[in-house]
Amino acid sequence: MSPDTTGVLPREGVEVGGVRAALLRTRAGRGEHVYTVVRWGGAGLFAVVVVALLISIAGSSGQALTHAGVGFLWSGTWNPAAGEYGAGILVVGTLLTTAVAMVIVVPIGLGTAAFLSELAPRWLAGPLSTLVGLLAAVPSIVVGLWGLIVLTPIFANQVEPFLASVPALGWLFRGEAYGPSILLASVVLAVMTLPTMVALSRTALAAVPVADREAALALGATRWQAVRRAVIPAARSGIQAAVTLAVGRAMGESIAVAMVIGNRPAIPSSLTAPGATLGSAIVNQFAEATPGIGTSSVIALGAVLLLLTVAVNAGGQALLRSGGGHRGGTAGALR
Amino acid sequence: MSGDHVARAEPLTVVAEERAEGEPETATRPGAPAPIADGGRKRGVAAANTAASALTHGHQSSATPPAVTLEGVRVTFGDHVAVRNVTLAIPARQVTALIGPSGCGKTTLLRAINRLHDHTGGRVEGSIKLGDIDVYGADTRPELIRRRIGMVFQRPNPFPAMSVFENVVSGLRFNGVHGRALLRDAAESALRHAALWDTVKDRLHQPALRLSGGQQQRLCIARALAVEPDVLLMDEPCSALDPIATAKIEDLITRLAADVTIVLVTHNMFQAARVSDQAAVFLLGEDRVGELVESGPTDELFNEPRNARTRDYVAGRVG
Amino acid sequence: MSVVSAVSRRELVRAAAQRSLTRRRVTGRIAQALCAVAALAAVAPLVALLYYTISRGAQVLSWSFLVNAPTPPGIPGGGISTAITGTAEIVGLALVIAIPTALLAALFLFERSGRLAAVLRFSADVLTGVPSIIIGIFAYALLVLPLHAFSDLAAAFALAVLMLPIMIRADEEAMRTIALDLWEAGIALGARRGRVARSVVLRGALPDLVTGNLLAIARAVGETAPLLFTLATPLAAMTLLIYTDGTQAFPIAQETAWGTALVLLAFVLLLSVAAKIAAWRISRRAR
Repeated sequence: MSPDTTGVLPREGVEVGGVRAALLRTRAGRGEHVYTVVRWGGAGLFAVVVVALLISIAGSSGQALTHAGVGFLWSGTWNPAAGEYGAGILVVGTLLTTAVAMVIVVPIGLGTAAFLSELAPRWLAGPLSTLVGLLAAVPSIVVGLWGLIVLTPIFANQVEPFLASVPALGWLFRGEAYGPSILLASVVLAVMTLPTMVALSRTALAAVPVADREAALALGATRWQAVRRAVIPAARSGIQAAVTLAVGRAMGESIAVAMVIGNRPAIPSSLTAPGATLGSAIVNQFAEATPGIGTSSVIALGAVLLLLTVAVNAGGQALLRSGGGHRGGTAGALR
Repeated sequence: MSGDHVARAEPLTVVAEERAEGEPETATRPGAPAPIADGGRKRGVAAANTAASALTHGHQSSATPPAVTLEGVRVTFGDHVAVRNVTLAIPARQVTALIGPSGCGKTTLLRAINRLHDHTGGRVEGSIKLGDIDVYGADTRPELIRRRIGMVFQRPNPFPAMSVFENVVSGLRFNGVHGRALLRDAAESALRHAALWDTVKDRLHQPALRLSGGQQQRLCIARALAVEPDVLLMDEPCSALDPIATAKIEDLITRLAADVTIVLVTHNMFQAARVSDQAAVFLLGEDRVGELVESGPTDELFNEPRNARTRDYVAGRVG
Repeated sequence: MSVVSAVSRRELVRAAAQRSLTRRRVTGRIAQALCAVAALAAVAPLVALLYYTISRGAQVLSWSFLVNAPTPPGIPGGGISTAITGTAEIVGLALVIAIPTALLAALFLFERSGRLAAVLRFSADVLTGVPSIIIGIFAYALLVLPLHAFSDLAAAFALAVLMLPIMIRADEEAMRTIALDLWEAGIALGARRGRVARSVVLRGALPDLVTGNLLAIARAVGETAPLLFTLATPLAAMTLLIYTDGTQAFPIAQETAWGTALVLLAFVLLLSVAAKIAAWRISRRAR
């Protein structure tokens, strides 16, 4: 282990008299060694955990994958009772619910962020943004419970029939509407990812220098024109990062979705039909899975979900970093 | 809207008269070793005014009313007064410099002129008039008045998501001007006025941020000019630029003044001396509030200042 | 080649500006109103959640509900005490694992700036986005399957893995913002690195550390999926209890679910608010 890894001390060759030598001698003390070992231990433990996670999931999926081959990924049938294990239909379900959730979340989230950051009077912006942030703290199980018990009847009896009657888009919502549905799951996902979208979009908007807005105003623009033409475009990459990370979160949410989606792994006939996602299938199938191939398949689903979310999240983090010096770190922790 | 009614008749003959009466134009070379205020560009019209006296002077071309008139202007942020008691007439189509050490309220005052304080929380008292129009009048629309009073900022701030062309015409688009041919025309004219056309004419659709610092600032000037303002406020436009870019912009300023009244904030006395016709000195009062100490034609101010504090500042003894 | 001469262009711009003003202002007002509606829509779910959880949970909530152990179905007088204490134990155990590990890893990242540190940092960031269900599966594969038994330890391990990356990044940020100068001063004075870390860096960054960790804890307390794979009975944790009871059709089970949800929500919100207050206090002191 090299004596000086912090870069604080000058490098070799620079004369600083006996001070450097004295410091190096001090470093060799026993307390120092213990500390260094312990520090490496902490980082090492973390690294071990990460690697172990990858290996164990891959390993346990092995059985399912050897049984079904690589076709597991896109095979369209998931019917454990019949011995058919394929993740394809579930991936479709995941993507579908995420997409619908984003259709709801992106405009509302961006509009909220614009309101809080640029358009609201100062006395209102603070408390309101605290409230929106508080939504992030609500555990997903509580949202799921609320969705299951409160929203399901409302959606089945009022919302879905109403939507089916809307002129241009009604066809999306026709069909059986007895409660649990893709639409409901998407709404629940939207509720859960909204705080992430708002917080990150706000950060992106706040990062735009005030001078950009003032330049627009100085040309005779109205306030809204300045926001729409000068501020929002300048925040584009930050907003893209926000959307990407929200997508990542939506894909991974399983408990709340499992409670309201109806657990039917088939191509839905409309948005009001029940469906299934990777997360919901894992939750719903785990308890009943036959040991061996059943369990292994459930774990393999987890592997697919992991790949999907890691890819999206890595992309989102990269976008965050590239958008001007913002370090990705704690943003991931903002549920 | 009554805010935009002033008939801004542009008799080109007046300008010609002015030139005939005054001394011939001398374009300054930056860095000329002349005594401080000699290199300033003089015109026949010299509106001499001090804080005390009314707008009286000898030349008959003073028939041109001042572009902007400030009376008793005071800007406050909460309890803190930033600048007070400013009475000043900004003569039309000349360069007026607001000079003084930093922190004396020059920039704050400048931003009061185009109502940017509507958005910063500063309270503006007193009267500011663009010609006859009260800038803060009840039926004056801020958007319309801001089109007529343009601004160039300290750091070049082109809109990052737009190309060069889009930046230049952005102001026109904000104000409801459309039509490709018209916009292209206006863009070329504005870029020529800003001495940038030749540099960018082949890269109009490249991102604006690809230009160098000095070019970006000239782009911002072009952008401000494109909406045909009457007055151009410039807040230390060269402070973020290297000396060569600075020289180009100073040269530009003296030429632009033929069409547009320019109010220039600068803490660089020499720049003020090079470029301006009138100057107003701002210093900190004893209670640390910025105030206007003296104003007048630049060479008078520098060579024979009336106020002792001005004399100290100009001689470099203060600030 | 000018389409329009200079003087008339000036007039054109003036006229266009004036003519378009009303339209521009009206558009702006409408847009502002829409954004306000969006903000309202963003707050509405929280209000609805609070309303339903409080109104339905309060019906069941009582002292005995909190303090009594659960009773077999059909026998009245049961409570959720085992779930509450269970959650506390599991989270507590998880903290014992996670806090020191995160601190040390953060110190490691704080000091080093090499390639290794960058990789570690990036993987921590990516790991914060891994769905909690995956972490549950991981704990299952690692600790439950081989031992053929569910356990509190497996659950605690899962929660620790969940919190670890969040805490590592939060800790490192805390150290960087507060303590970099202090650290260099300490080193320059010749003190040993371990000593400097302990007495100077940790103390200086303590408030920020507390805040960041509080948020991680609030998150862990509310997680269900990891527990699904590692716990033997839903009575061992609040979140699991809510899930099991909530998905049953019996009204009594659902009532219990609401009551538990209220307790859980109260606890999590308290933690989050405490974290926010701590953060606010710190930023005030820093000013």
